[in-house]
Amino acid sequence: MSSETQKILTTDGIPLEESLRKAEKKNKIKAFLLVAPLLLFIIITYIFPIGEMLFRSVDDRMVTNMLPKTFEAMKKWDGKELPQEEVFEAFYLDYKILVEEKRHGKLATQMNYTKNGFKSILKKLARKQKKFEEGNYKEQIMSVHKRWANVEYWRALKRRSPSYTYSKYLKGIDMYENEDGKIVQVPEDRRVHKILWMRTLNIALGVTILCFLMGYPIAHLLATLPMKYSNLLMICVLLPFWTSLLVRTASWMILLQQQGIVNDFFVWIGLVTDDTRPEMMYNKTGTFVAMTQILLPFMVLPLYSVMKTISPSLMRAGKSLGGTPFVAFWKVYFPLTVPGIGAGCLLVFILAIGYYITPALVGGASGSLISNHIAFHMKFTLDWSFASAMGLMLLSGVLGVYWIYNKLVGIDNIKLG
Amino acid sequence: MKKLSKLLLTLTFALSITSSAFAVVVASWGGAYTESQKLGYGDPTAAALGVPIDWVDYSGGLSEIKAQKEAGAIVWDIIDVFASDTITGCDEGIFVEFDFDKDFPPAPDGTPASEDFFTGMPSKCAVGNILYSWNYAYNSNNVKGTPKTIKDFFNTKKFPGKRAIYKSALTNLEIALAADGIKAGKGGAKIYKALNTEKGVQRALDKIKKLCTDPKGGCVFWASGSQGPELLMSGEVVMATGWNGRFFNATIGEGAPIVQVWDGQGLDYEYFALVKGGPNESDAKKALAMMTNTEMLAGSAKYIAYAPWRKSSIAVMEAGEPWYKDGKTNMVPHMPTAPQNLKNYFLVDAEFWSDNGTELGEKWEAMKAGL
Repeated sequence: MSSETQKILTTDGIPLEESLRKAEKKNKIKAFLLVAPLLLFIIITYIFPIGEMLFRSVDDRMVTNMLPKTFEAMKKWDGKELPQEEVFEAFYLDYKILVEEKRHGKLATQMNYTKNGFKSILKKLARKQKKFEEGNYKEQIMSVHKRWANVEYWRALKRRSPSYTYSKYLKGIDMYENEDGKIVQVPEDRRVHKILWMRTLNIALGVTILCFLMGYPIAHLLATLPMKYSNLLMICVLLPFWTSLLVRTASWMILLQQQGIVNDFFVWIGLVTDDTRPEMMYNKTGTFVAMTQILLPFMVLPLYSVMKTISPSLMRAGKSLGGTPFVAFWKVYFPLTVPGIGAGCLLVFILAIGYYITPALVGGASGSLISNHIAFHMKFTLDWSFASAMGLMLLSGVLGVYWIYNKLVGIDNIKLG
Repeated sequence: MKKLSKLLLTLTFALSITSSAFAVVVASWGGAYTESQKLGYGDPTAAALGVPIDWVDYSGGLSEIKAQKEAGAIVWDIIDVFASDTITGCDEGIFVEFDFDKDFPPAPDGTPASEDFFTGMPSKCAVGNILYSWNYAYNSNNVKGTPKTIKDFFNTKKFPGKRAIYKSALTNLEIALAADGIKAGKGGAKIYKALNTEKGVQRALDKIKKLCTDPKGGCVFWASGSQGPELLMSGEVVMATGWNGRFFNATIGEGAPIVQVWDGQGLDYEYFALVKGGPNESDAKKALAMMTNTEMLAGSAKYIAYAPWRKSSIAVMEAGEPWYKDGKTNMVPHMPTAPQNLKNYFLVDAEFWSDNGTELGEKWEAMKAGL
């Protein structure tokens, strides 16, 4: 028998295998075309901006290209004492061009991110350098402002010489690379980012735990009560969920402030006296209360949808097999709700860690979180590369939580409904 | 009927396109403030030039305009900005640099524009709009005695109770030093000289920290301008710093028992900046020149207690008293620039803050975290 007769042919003479492959290929293209809009959407609105953010946070070519001669001359400088005349001369020549092209303002903004006080001395230099005489630039530059004779400023300049840098990430954890190339902490009175990171983590974790403790019984009630009660309860969960965030935050402020309704009630029932009203707003208590209430539905809803699918007969079976109600709950019911707990906790935690308005309004002195700081750099200092770096650090923190969760519980276990 | 509605639809569509194509778009802070701008000089200018002026709200900062510029789709022509933003925007090449006396008309008596105001402009890209004050106020129902000086704001022995202060370091460090006994000097020069040293900054931070940790004192930090009067009204605090226009609104506009204290006030300007390469740059420039002339600026003070930046506008107001929109309140005594309010003041130094804002902000946050 020849090999050709072994192959099964379709009616139009093409081998079946090939014909099938063709048909499958067509299907694959169709399927791809169906998801293509979504894929495109994700690439454009998600992957691309994150890539751009990553790039922005390490890209420092602008400063490198602005001062080519200076950085060339600085290669020989060890950073210990004030640089030699040639560095000053190179800097003068570079800067002169920038002033002529009116690009020196950008350099001033950029350098001020690295070292405070750079802006005004660069501007002063821009005005004074027009009258500089040839030669001895070191003396002339140093006479413009006393800060030019401070080696710190020249070190800061040298730090900006590489085209790509991770210094923004170091800054995000209150570190910097000193002149010996060692990574050290910034002075104590300026270590603000670590405080903000810890506070953000603290509040996010606390709110997640509070939401879980309060959401679990509510979800259980919702899932087990007869329809006419559970519907009413459901409305109680959903109504605040649909109310504007600002309205809810403002109501908490009215309720909880020292002269507020809750405190008035406490005084009225004699729990506290008029001058010992507890502070429940503009501090951590206020933040926890308001954020927990706002994020509670995100915990209740996934829990509810999971609990709804658990048959009540399972608990009865557990009890009839001799378990106490607690054992039946712990051994039978609780493990079945774990997918919902996972979903709810992750949702609340991730929302809480990037929370912005509520802590700013009700948090008082300890109210600003890392997201407020990112917004500050986005809006006011315009240091977008630092904001990007912190944004990415926050994102990788969230991904870290996701990874840990996956290792501990398994992400396939998650269930939103 | 159907034809008619179609026609109408096309017409309105065409109208909306043309009007937005040649309207001048101004971004400002919204609320009563934008209202005063619109009624005071926006609408009259639009009518005089025949160019519509659209007002849009934003919440400050340069991120939006920078993003618009990077995307190559600028939609704003003029922005109402803080002093430090005019500096940053000018450096970044976002705003147009002015040739001041050529671009802006002189005062009615012929004084050139560049000499018609209280102090110099922070950058070449800025033209003044209003002068406002960072002062403090108290609720006369909740305070025994009458606080008169900036020292009283920090005096918890005589005036026990919580204080509301601005959430970031800006102006807080200045008033702390002023209350700690440093003489302001001309326009607050001595305060800023002290703040240029580590010791001075530490002294200011310590003063604030002492106030906030004092069991008889304590601090609430406000973030938006409406919070100061609200906190005073609810009795949450006994004294609050804030912007004078907001306190004025609460007292005169709403009849609240709030009293302002002008001692140690921080005078600050609000500016307009013209966006380089905006959709309608030439019209915007004309509109800006007209909106900031003597008559027009005085117009906005009819609606809000912020002083016009031109000295000559004050004369217009004085001649027209009672100037407030209710027709019975004299406006000039409520201006931050009124002589009796200017006995002890500092000018908020934009250059200082754009130089040191980040570092001081970090120190401030670190101090707050330790409260």
